[in-house]
Amino acid sequence: MAPSSLNVMLKGSSGRSTRGLLRVIILCTIAAAAVSSRLFSVIRFESIIHEFDPWFNFRATKYLIENGFYSFWDWFDDRTWHPLGRVTGGTLYPGLMVTSGVIYHILRLLTIPVDIRNICVLLAPGFSGLTALAMYLLTSEMSTSPSAGLLAAAFMGITPGYISRSVAGSYDNEAIAIFLLVFTFYLWIKAVKNGSIMWGALTALFYGYMVSAWGGYVFITNLIPLHVFVLLCMGRYSNRVYISYTTWYALGTLGSMQIPFVGFLPIRNSDHMSALGVFGLIQLVAFAEFIRTYLPGKEFQKLLTSMILLTVGLGFGGLVLLSVSGVIAPWSGRFYSLWDTGYAKIHIPIIASVSEHQPTAWPAFFFDLNFLIWLFPAGVFMCFQKLKDEHVFVVIYAVLASYFAGVMVRLMLTLTPIVCVAAALALSSILDSFLVASTPSSSSEAKEKPTAEDKSLRSTRKPVVGIYSFFSKSVVVGSVIVYLLLFVAHCTWVTSNAYSSPSVVLASKLPDGSQYIIDDYREAYYWLRQNTPDNAKIMAWWDYGYQIGGMADRPTLVDNNTWNNTHIATVGKAMSSREEVSYPILRQHDVDYVLVVFGGLLGYSGDDLNKFLWMVRIAEGIWPDEVKERDFFTARGEYRVDEEATPAMKNSLMYKMSYHNFQSLFPPGQAMDRVRGTKVPKESPQLNTLEEAFTSENWIVRLYKVKDLDNLGRDHSSAVAFDKGLKRKRATKHKGPRVLRTE
Amino acid sequence: MKLWTPLFLLLSVVSGVLSTSSTPDKFAKYHSLSRSGPVDLDSSSYEDLISTPRDYYAVVILTATDVRFGCLLCRDFESEWDLIARSWNKGTKPEELKVVFGTLDFDNGKAVFQKLMLQTAPVLLIFPPTIGPLAKVEGDPIRFDFTGPISADQVYSWIGRHLPEGPKPQLVRPINYMRIISAIVILMAVVTAFAVLSPYVLPIVQSRTLWAAISLIAILLFTSGQMFNHIRKVPYVTSDGRGGISYFAGGFQNQFGLETQIVAAIYAVLSFATIVLALKVPRMEDVKGQQLAVVIWATVLFVTYGFLLSVFKAKNGGYPFYLPPF
Repeated sequence: MAPSSLNVMLKGSSGRSTRGLLRVIILCTIAAAAVSSRLFSVIRFESIIHEFDPWFNFRATKYLIENGFYSFWDWFDDRTWHPLGRVTGGTLYPGLMVTSGVIYHILRLLTIPVDIRNICVLLAPGFSGLTALAMYLLTSEMSTSPSAGLLAAAFMGITPGYISRSVAGSYDNEAIAIFLLVFTFYLWIKAVKNGSIMWGALTALFYGYMVSAWGGYVFITNLIPLHVFVLLCMGRYSNRVYISYTTWYALGTLGSMQIPFVGFLPIRNSDHMSALGVFGLIQLVAFAEFIRTYLPGKEFQKLLTSMILLTVGLGFGGLVLLSVSGVIAPWSGRFYSLWDTGYAKIHIPIIASVSEHQPTAWPAFFFDLNFLIWLFPAGVFMCFQKLKDEHVFVVIYAVLASYFAGVMVRLMLTLTPIVCVAAALALSSILDSFLVASTPSSSSEAKEKPTAEDKSLRSTRKPVVGIYSFFSKSVVVGSVIVYLLLFVAHCTWVTSNAYSSPSVVLASKLPDGSQYIIDDYREAYYWLRQNTPDNAKIMAWWDYGYQIGGMADRPTLVDNNTWNNTHIATVGKAMSSREEVSYPILRQHDVDYVLVVFGGLLGYSGDDLNKFLWMVRIAEGIWPDEVKERDFFTARGEYRVDEEATPAMKNSLMYKMSYHNFQSLFPPGQAMDRVRGTKVPKESPQLNTLEEAFTSENWIVRLYKVKDLDNLGRDHSSAVAFDKGLKRKRATKHKGPRVLRTE
Repeated sequence: MKLWTPLFLLLSVVSGVLSTSSTPDKFAKYHSLSRSGPVDLDSSSYEDLISTPRDYYAVVILTATDVRFGCLLCRDFESEWDLIARSWNKGTKPEELKVVFGTLDFDNGKAVFQKLMLQTAPVLLIFPPTIGPLAKVEGDPIRFDFTGPISADQVYSWIGRHLPEGPKPQLVRPINYMRIISAIVILMAVVTAFAVLSPYVLPIVQSRTLWAAISLIAILLFTSGQMFNHIRKVPYVTSDGRGGISYFAGGFQNQFGLETQIVAAIYAVLSFATIVLALKVPRMEDVKGQQLAVVIWATVLFVTYGFLLSVFKAKNGGYPFYLPPF
């Protein structure tokens, strides 16, 4: 009979293995769902690398594969930051490239010929499947309920907050870093629970991998010490904590110092000082514990308190002293802007200019997390119920990460894992009580004693009885199913609408509903690749540096690495000054072509004129007397590009390049800029020192060639005037007596 | 050419004589007036200060610090300006570099504001000397426009760039001893209070419920966009143009202060309903009561979530999902 055979399947030892098998199948399905939900862009467009930074990673990976590991390690790249170059091997996080390099070689070993580009495109979805598995492991450590881990894995697999950084083609550090983050935390929890050196060493190993992969490793570097510190403050010191922390810290720090880009930062940078401080503290606490076995309790308490106070005071004082005297590097700018939110705005325009560094409005939270966002506090509350060591970790992580996510949109990524854990805890505890088929008999309930200890939360002191009526069960389970279905629909909708655009290729809808692909970027980059000499220097705003390097394979002046603010300001100055000022700058930097992005014809809002104020601001930071933001606003404080634009605006190189010949597309006097929604001046701006070389189909990318010096030694404006047939006025030609040239 | 030189010499001697007769006492007069901070000017003394010939730099800020004018920038910058003038007057500087710092408030100098046709305040003007070794050919004042909150260091470096090369006094921010002392006193008071009250305080500090409440409130605040309000200084509410109040800002990247509080409250209600369903309800012994509680809280959950979805849909036009009542 079916029920009895089901009983055989679900109970006893064969039941255990059946459930294990089911769990494996479910997890594989979740991983498959995670991978496939990230493939929208491949299906809709093609297998292409997205956005900006991935292009650099892709280029670096290709270099690694062609030249081998050691020359990658010593790579000096003279094709970026012309004429400075960049010590690329020592200034990047190599984890991502090495990972895909290893995968490539393994596949080659198995005689599976795969293009490196496809590995790079599909790396992020592949790792998201692994993240779901790691999430299952992490959550299973937090809860006794077997369903919590599966729920968390499912949430993590499809939540948009994580998909946003891991769709196919977004070949960025975060692609593997989130997996490493979650898995490192899982190992850490395991280490704290078991107090074993093996787990601690594994934590350190994966921590080292994480350091090699993403700058966000600082989050782990601070969270684990904070966890230990809070445990110590709660009086929960144990040998388990001591063993796991010291193992992790010693091995992990050594491991992280092997990355050239990190180098000696772990002992010199303030970002890492909390880990070192807690390492010292835990030694003292361990020593105190040792003494306790020899001293009577009262004396010991006093000793301990005074010791803690003394250490904290000394440590803090020492930190301040070392920071002031400069032995420890001051907090790095990006990190500092997390705490003092006004800091970046005033002091570091280049950080403030990046949209990822903006604060997060509430719709973004709901957009990225949907109903997990309100299950999240409930889950955190449930952690307070038992409040074991691992639950303390969840609480700390939750509070810290939600602060960071609120300050910086980009850090939503670090919040997502803990939201999934907490939400799964909350939801699984609902489902566990409401999805039980048997009804509790009213008599049996009194048998359970109120075992809950005094410290527990008041709401959970009474014993669990269970749900009586079938109706309540069906109401709650039904609505939860509705929410879950809604969540899946939401995630699919968000992923397909918001996070699957490669932003190299744009798509729009024609009036008849058919899709129209806008491929201007690649068109222009391939024009450069095929029509310019191999070492033609391209000047563009830094956003496009990596793409030019990756797709056009031409040297650039600045790129998304932004390590040299002055160089970026130089480009900003050249873009925002008059031609007479810009031309010498262009000549000095050997610029052959200038690239601008212009969205006025199509209504593409991410164009250079909309970023122009940031160029001005960054240039003003270095040359406050030559470039002034005020000059680009009209007397009434408006940013205008039409007839009433300020002279500084109209004469700036950027403005001229954007609107050069734009008017000729329209009937006279009707030229319309669709991004800024204004008419543009009737006359096309006059460019003297540059000539138009190429304009893409939809005018999104415009390329200008920098003219060589005039053959007859005239300045460019008079040469252009002569070519146009304008006569030079003779009136000013009053010369004095001839003078012999003297040396 | 050779003829001209003596003439120039003669002229410069004459002007030198003239200047020695009139301006040194003008500089001395204002310099003594200023003592440490900037000189307070009115219309007539302003005209006198900037009248030619002058052999000194006059750095004047035209401001409106009175509360009536509602110039927040003016009031914010007042102390910074004081700091600049004080640092300059106290610092060591070359003998021939003469600078007078002055403040002209709108209350005392309406005529000047009208003459300069100033619509905004504050405005910073530097008048270079017209005679003497540092004289500039064009005696026009150099103007600094304030575009937003700015610190003394930035303004001071701007002024420094328009003064001749050479050593200049450093900008010295006085150490706020009062603040340090009060911080120490408060710290000690807290430590003492803790030591004395520890038998009463410790149970509270160690109370799990308290920490749970703190964490949950923090999480709710942060996830409802409180930091955005703090950083962007968004308005609390605005009017909808028809005399009513608009609670929700249009657009995905915008929000109001009240809006985030409403959202935080919605999240709180939803979380609370979840907690009740997960923890409280299974512990209820009364059969009927349990059924009632389940129905009530499940309904609250459903309706509130539906409302949240409808709010989100209002912010994000193309969002296709909703729950029945809304």
